[in-house]
Amino acid sequence: MSKTSEVLMKFVFMICACVSIAAVALICVFMFANGVPAMSEIGFTEFLLGDKWRPSSDLYGIFPMIIGSIYVTAGAIIIGVPIGLLCAVFLAYYCPSKLYSIVKPAVELLAGIPSIVYGFFGLMVIVPFIKDNIARGNFIHLGGSGKGVLTASILLGIMILPTIISTVEPNLRAVPKMYYEGSLALGATKERSVFCTIVPAAKSGVMAGVVLWIGRAIGETMAVIIVAGNQPVIPEKITSGVRTLTANIVLEMAYASDLHKDALIATAVVLFVFILIINTCFSLLKRSES
Amino acid sequence: MDQIKGSSDNMEVVTAERMTPKKKQTKSLHPFSVLVKILVYLSAIITVSVLVFIIAYILIMGVSNITPELFEWKYTPENVSMMPAIINTLTMTALTLLMAVPIGIFSAIYLVEYAKRGSKLVKIIRLTTETLSGIPSIVFGLFGFLAFVVAAGWGYSLLAGAITLAIMVLPLIIRTTEEALLAVPDTYREGSFGLGAGKLRTIFKIIVPSAMPGILSGVILSIGRISGETAALIFTAGTSAGVTTGLFRTSRTLAVHMYCLLSEGLYTRQAYATAVVLLIMVILINALSSILAKKLAKK
Amino acid sequence: MFKTKKIVALAASAALILSMAVGCNNANNTSSDDDTSSTVDLGEINVISREDGSGTRGAFVELMGIVDENDKDATTVTAEITNSTSVMMSTVAGNESAIGYVSLGSLYDDVKALKVDGVEATPENVKSGDYKVSRPFVICYVEDKLSDLAKDFISYIMSADGQQLLTDEKYISVADGEAYAAPETALSGEISISGSTSVGPVMEKLAAAYMEKNKDVKISIEQNGSGAGIKAATEGVSDIGMSSRELKDSEKEKLADTKIALDGVAVIVNKANTVENLTSEQIKNIFLGEVTEWADVQ
Repeated sequence: MSKTSEVLMKFVFMICACVSIAAVALICVFMFANGVPAMSEIGFTEFLLGDKWRPSSDLYGIFPMIIGSIYVTAGAIIIGVPIGLLCAVFLAYYCPSKLYSIVKPAVELLAGIPSIVYGFFGLMVIVPFIKDNIARGNFIHLGGSGKGVLTASILLGIMILPTIISTVEPNLRAVPKMYYEGSLALGATKERSVFCTIVPAAKSGVMAGVVLWIGRAIGETMAVIIVAGNQPVIPEKITSGVRTLTANIVLEMAYASDLHKDALIATAVVLFVFILIINTCFSLLKRSES
Repeated sequence: MDQIKGSSDNMEVVTAERMTPKKKQTKSLHPFSVLVKILVYLSAIITVSVLVFIIAYILIMGVSNITPELFEWKYTPENVSMMPAIINTLTMTALTLLMAVPIGIFSAIYLVEYAKRGSKLVKIIRLTTETLSGIPSIVFGLFGFLAFVVAAGWGYSLLAGAITLAIMVLPLIIRTTEEALLAVPDTYREGSFGLGAGKLRTIFKIIVPSAMPGILSGVILSIGRISGETAALIFTAGTSAGVTTGLFRTSRTLAVHMYCLLSEGLYTRQAYATAVVLLIMVILINALSSILAKKLAKK
Repeated sequence: MFKTKKIVALAASAALILSMAVGCNNANNTSSDDDTSSTVDLGEINVISREDGSGTRGAFVELMGIVDENDKDATTVTAEITNSTSVMMSTVAGNESAIGYVSLGSLYDDVKALKVDGVEATPENVKSGDYKVSRPFVICYVEDKLSDLAKDFISYIMSADGQQLLTDEKYISVADGEAYAAPETALSGEISISGSTSVGPVMEKLAAAYMEKNKDVKISIEQNGSGAGIKAATEGVSDIGMSSRELKDSEKEKLADTKIALDGVAVIVNKANTVENLTSEQIKNIFLGEVTEWADVQ
């Protein structure tokens, strides 16, 4: 191949690499151009810190939804991450290869199920379980209808499992075998070798995936909307209903018009800024580590 | 629930244990080891049992509702056939991949083979791809709606949906391709250069083929996301039933079809049947990919 | 050594599954107890409402008077919100203490429709005006931009055939037109319709029947909500918009609208609930959040 085509292709590769930059820029432009005017019309503080969302009375405060998104995401991380991490360890170090060839595709399958299916699964299985045992059970009686922070967290925790496993497992495998063998040779048990040498060595790679997990949890819509209850109030208990930012958009977008619609787009802008902040925090964290 | 709480508590035990290493250890019988082992197995069991539970749920609710008229070629309100939606899902997936795969692979090639590590451009690209992968699909949906449906004036259309999805899966393809390219040993490159091949030749004849299984797994993951996506598509590709006849026509994919069937409560049973078909589609895609990956790996 | 671990793991998993099963059994037991006793304590009322701006909610709130002193929607903030009729019905079907409302056309026998002020929720009672909770199905369009084809389709909807189809789907007809006859010169072309997800399914049936009579016509229907439909009609993206609420005055300035049918809104509760009848005052107080216990309305 000639010199010119080498140069030309290098240029093509570079252009392609810049597509993602262009995409983010475009998304920023469109979201901010449509959302910010609405925010300023409502008033930035009223919009972000107002605790009343009543579009029919022109009250647009998304503070309960911001809190709701944080609660549900945190809950999903608390439930999903330990299980996901340990399951990744299982797949990388404990799983017999025959079983692996079944479990691995199964986990991938979990990622491919549409979220609305998870939603109905949650509604039919998790909601009644929470209602009868925790919200209105004989022993635990926290109140509520079974839909709420806890239910949404459990469902989201399940939904982010494949993402966690698929980001953690390759990182565990990427740790050179000699770390593990060396540790075993020094007389450490298998568990000690895995958790005290492999896991710390894979830490930085795993950390990079955290943004992805949070993104998946905070951004999930179709499943959460079915099991969260969607009351636009700050939840008081883990069984209280909660509305996330994403649910707010999908719930009302279909019927919204005028300022209401712009307020929903502004909600998406807030969500977008959230992701940007989380992302920047993590890349700063990484930089300070290295 | 209790198990879940227990495992998070015990994670702390793990770290505490690490701080104060014990001097002597007998293999496997150490309580810490046993505990950790149990937890590891337990998590795997929870994951698998959840999966079994969900699949069983879908099958129990759906299989008995599958009827031949759900697969008629033409959609009518009586048969609510999912055939057009299946075809639309295939076109949507093909069109999205047509855009996302070349761009994604080329980006990864640039990042791995050409760019100087740590250059400013690379940092920005990294940051933006990470940002893209964190953006919720509903934000993509609204962006696609504002940019392609309204501003570009395409209306709800196949193209608007495909471009939106392409941007959505792009970071996934870039990341997996990058990993696959990085995993190709440098000796391959050196060998190829040593034999007098140019850089471009080396990339397309040596590096990309040997990274193929990894690249493919990224593509498969994208297909999974495309076929299961709802939130981004209802605002961009629209919900009109029937086979899409052009780039600027609305296109209802299978997942959106299911969402529509459920929204008014008129076709709940058909919706569960649709879920079964979606599940089977995902299983097929996964199986196909592992077969392909094996074949490529053998070469 | 390895085997014992496996046994432990298996035992743990069995315990997990068992605990789940026990949980399910408990649920079954309580619900069967509810069936047998005549007055059960259903406890706190779980109010379920539709999303703000939805046509069903708009009609329900207006007719029941669930408003504050400024005549604005005042549904209690503790009410669960859903944007899907399926979720509404599944929730009520699975929760003894729930109360919600759905379109009469979507009502399924998984749940129980309450009488309102002693009147049963049936299309006949809506038509006669005895059952008060109903809302209009509206189509809207820009009058002077409407094609002859679209005009003919609208005339079909308002004809005896179209109205009969609506009646068959449990909606309430509003016009007593004559039978539809396809024009002598065969019409061809396309009509694009978008809007309300409530009107959508029945519009699909109307379109299918119309296309049966006019083979060269293609009608595409987009179900994306009343707001989106009205907007699309205003901007000319769609020929006809569908709405399940009355058009606002600001919207009426640009669009002509035609009411094609009425839809009753049924108040639904769980089948285990022994309440059969509620007065509109009671329903109003429940949705305002002033009555919170089933004991107060039983």
